[in-house]
Amino acid sequence: MGFSRYVEVGRVVFINHGPDAGKIATVIDIVDQNKCLVDGPEEITGVSRQVVSYRKIALTDLTVKIQRNARAKTLKAAWKEGDTLAKWEGSSWAKKLEAKKKRSNLSDFDRFKVMVAKKQKSRIIAQKIKELKA
Amino acid sequence: MTAAGEMRQYQVVGRKAATEENTNPEAYRMVIFAPNPVAAKSKFWYFMRQFRKMKKTTGEILDCVELVEKNSRIVKNYGIWLRYDSRSGTHNMYREYRDLKLTGAVSQLYNEMAGRHRTRPRSIQIIRTATLGASELKRPNGAQFAQRRVKFPLPHRVDSAKRGQKALSDLTNVYLFTDTFFYAIEVVGRKTEHSDIRLSSSNDIQTNPY
Amino acid sequence: MPKFVLVMLTRVLGTAGPKKAAKAAAATTGKSARYYPADDVSRPKHSRAKKHNPPKIRPSFTPGTVCILLAGRFRGKRVVCLKALESGLLLVTGPYKINGVPLRRVNQAYVIGTSTKIDVSGVDVSNIDDAYFARTASASSEGEEEFFANDAAKPAVVSDTRKADQKKVDASILKVVESTPLMKNYLGSKFSLTKYDRPHSMIF
Repeated sequence: MGFSRYVEVGRVVFINHGPDAGKIATVIDIVDQNKCLVDGPEEITGVSRQVVSYRKIALTDLTVKIQRNARAKTLKAAWKEGDTLAKWEGSSWAKKLEAKKKRSNLSDFDRFKVMVAKKQKSRIIAQKIKELKA
Repeated sequence: MTAAGEMRQYQVVGRKAATEENTNPEAYRMVIFAPNPVAAKSKFWYFMRQFRKMKKTTGEILDCVELVEKNSRIVKNYGIWLRYDSRSGTHNMYREYRDLKLTGAVSQLYNEMAGRHRTRPRSIQIIRTATLGASELKRPNGAQFAQRRVKFPLPHRVDSAKRGQKALSDLTNVYLFTDTFFYAIEVVGRKTEHSDIRLSSSNDIQTNPY
Repeated sequence: MPKFVLVMLTRVLGTAGPKKAAKAAAATTGKSARYYPADDVSRPKHSRAKKHNPPKIRPSFTPGTVCILLAGRFRGKRVVCLKALESGLLLVTGPYKINGVPLRRVNQAYVIGTSTKIDVSGVDVSNIDDAYFARTASASSEGEEEFFANDAAKPAVVSDTRKADQKKVDASILKVVESTPLMKNYLGSKFSLTKYDRPHSMIF
């Protein structure tokens, strides 16, 4: 498959800077070589309609079928139609973010439990490798 | 005038102060781009005394309201005619911008004029502005983004988390790869004193150095 | 300078102590008093030093909170907070059985409170207060000979009451600790920072 992540109307983007950091949005229109107009839709992703710089966003593989300058309502319908949120949440990118968030929210006791689990895991693996080598 | 932050659009109405001879002098209305109403009123008098025999000390401002863009929901093409004083003379100019608001386009203009021509806000006078359709655009850069299907990649991307990070050679661990040997020079801490550099052969490092 | 002048004035005018009484007597009888102190009676100087109240206990420390000690010989140990004492110090214990930290007072400034809690409602520490930890004066003062002769440190003697209290507290905490899987191992292990650990962004 060739290169497919383009800046285009309907492209789903991940915002990695500013007050909406960590949320996703849809490109509604392209302003110029530096910025584009995005809309969450707000009801689904929490990003209101605004102009953002390309520097503050990362393009995802997802697109939504919409017209240029689509209204919030049609955009929402397109997201529902394409099941875009579920697709995003199913992507390894979103899963990694989720895992990262979970890790950073662990308490001290949780971290200890993770450490113990990791040790158990590596012990099992080492055991298996030993068996296979023998 | 300075262009502090976003420009705003004001409608200023003023006239000569009423006297006994003329109890109801003619009022003039002007649309002005300025960062705040104070600057707008000042700009009003600046232009007014060029056009009519009027000045601030003998006149009065009747009204000063901000004009707000009706539809700031979609991106529009704006054409702006202006006149500016360069270091060597006065020039007329036409520029196009794409933005949600006219005030946004004017702010872009002030910034671009400062960047490209070192023009200060005080030496820019906006003559006329217009909202244009895609076919009416004269400049190719704006026109290419006003088409129906615009599509382009972002080729030169730096991960935002890695932006501003030090070059690899500045990091605390430097690994050298050669054909016959694999040395790991581990520089302990930031102070790269010679005594802190340890050399170890590949036998010592079984695990992935990363 | 003005302060000094003031002091001088009070001396000369004599508004202090017994002199005042004499003066008052003189005022009522019209005669000077018979009694006049020969010596100046020294009075304690008025001190402006404020008495410090005990610090407020941070909300992260409640009875039963698992805490991480940051300083002292038990640094890095995870301990159980039992209560806050009048002095503003926290009463903690390892428990001693698990990680060797006895019933002990610690300054909350050198402790991190975690979000992990243990039910210590069944632990009775009502008899333990600041006085409990007060040092007892040694029975005999060191003589000259001992001072030179015996350089070796005397072993610390832990009183039997303390030992008994520790046992009692440990027993009741251990019951609760063992009801949570891995909790015993957790309290037995030490806290430390490793690579990529940023304590300011960590949640405890």
